[in-house]
Amino acid sequence: MTELITGLLQESISGIALGCIYALIALGFTLIYKATEVVNFAQGELMMVGAYVNFFFVTTFISSAGEPTLWTFIVALAGSIIFALAFGWLLDLIINRPMKDEPIFSIIMATISLSIILRALVAIIAGPMSLLPISPFGEGVFSFGGIVISILDTFIIGSAVILVILFYYFFNKTRWGVAMQATSEDPIAAQLMGIPVNRVNSLVWIFSALVATISGILLAPKLSLLDTTMGFLGLKAFPAAVLGGFGSIAGAIVGGVIMGVIETISIGTLSFHYVWIKEINDIIVWIVLIAVLMIKPDGLFGVEKVKKV
Amino acid sequence: MLKMVGVETYYGKVKALHGVSLNVNEGQLVTILGANGAGKTTILKTISGLVEPECGTIHFDNKRIDNKNPEEIVAMGISHVPEWRRIFPELTVYENLLMGGFLIKNKDLLQERMEESFQHFPILKKRQTQIAGTMSGGEQQMLAISRALMLKPKLLLLDEPSLGLSPLLVQDIFNTIKELHKSGVTILLVEQNVNHALKIADYGYVLTTGKIFLSGTYEELLDEEKVREQYLGEGKYVRRSKLWSGR
Repeated sequence: MTELITGLLQESISGIALGCIYALIALGFTLIYKATEVVNFAQGELMMVGAYVNFFFVTTFISSAGEPTLWTFIVALAGSIIFALAFGWLLDLIINRPMKDEPIFSIIMATISLSIILRALVAIIAGPMSLLPISPFGEGVFSFGGIVISILDTFIIGSAVILVILFYYFFNKTRWGVAMQATSEDPIAAQLMGIPVNRVNSLVWIFSALVATISGILLAPKLSLLDTTMGFLGLKAFPAAVLGGFGSIAGAIVGGVIMGVIETISIGTLSFHYVWIKEINDIIVWIVLIAVLMIKPDGLFGVEKVKKV
Repeated sequence: MLKMVGVETYYGKVKALHGVSLNVNEGQLVTILGANGAGKTTILKTISGLVEPECGTIHFDNKRIDNKNPEEIVAMGISHVPEWRRIFPELTVYENLLMGGFLIKNKDLLQERMEESFQHFPILKKRQTQIAGTMSGGEQQMLAISRALMLKPKLLLLDEPSLGLSPLLVQDIFNTIKELHKSGVTILLVEQNVNHALKIADYGYVLTTGKIFLSGTYEELLDEEKVREQYLGEGKYVRRSKLWSGR
């Protein structure tokens, strides 16, 4: 029995780390959804592209400088972030802006096409083989009593927490952050205040690409495998966002963590003890999602939308 | 100060304004009256740049503004309080005012303006941290007006400020508008509430189906039976005394 409990505890921590990544992807979904009511189905692919770009930087630096040092990873991260900023800006320019007056449905379809195109492009450029990403922390672990935690997991959780705090600060305390909220609530009124709505929207896409890239960089070493199907993991962040209540930032984060923990535990200890769970572990997050939607259709943090007329 | 000449605006293929011309002079309170769907709101939207006119010109302070976007127009000194107030319902009162002053880069000036609007409407100071959407209709209207005043506009466009308010609050709102006007703000007011609007206005335009139908001062307009006909809808209203004039 104690074995089961230590197993569960250990996997919970690993699950929280995975969940933090889901939370970041869900945060990307939520940002765009809140601002423009578009569900960006390419969010997972943005993450995949980010992971590839980072891998490219790391390997280039290693091949030119030899042994990887801490600096290799820091410089690669900086390069990836710059790429993400430009990429997000470009996506807003080619997807969001030209289609501004189209029905939301058309823009959503465009994001689905974008996801397929990105997957194909990456496969063409990087080749169809799976790559082996290098973790800056190797196989390093901490251990507390019987529980072993990898440094990578700790780093993932730490980065996610810092990012979320930064976003929270930005949204609630800065002029542009509040303007972003205002624009998502009422773009017309925002225009009348002199808020440059177009610029705010491109900022939203830039942020969204940024969190996607960072989640890709964090996720690749955790999966210890990098290929173009990584984007499908983005779809798992979708139930996370819905679970939290689509459109709520706090909800996206909590929903992501819950999904990560459920998934890790069901794959690990639970399926070791109860074999049938292994059989259903791919669909387990979706079952949880449906259950939540049946009990609380607006998600855990969702507010019931009552429109005042 | 504001001069509209022959403005025609379309929504898709539907023509909403058929060549509207009007003037607002500095320091005036001008009102646009008209039934539902006459195009009153469209005039304001065209001035503030939310819709682009197909033809005609709009000049503000001798500068042409009909080809500018809303951000540029608000920066030039025209603030628009839209129909149904459109405050940001999930932001706090403070944040709403902050957004009203989005274009003010100087923090001290922003704070100063904030204090001024709290002086104008003490209720807003008390409600600073409240989520704006939970306030009453009257308070939301006060907020919408002070949000627009954050930039100290030269011209204030007010779109049906009395909409959906109880009669008591309507009186309050009109008093507020009157005071604003006295303090020197030039106002273009769109209203359905003819009596209230004409009482405080210097000049009025009556709009029917996208055209200016009549214009004049309070006395002139009040005298025009036509105004009443247009307003009270179908049917012709005849003065009682005239009923007997045939005898």
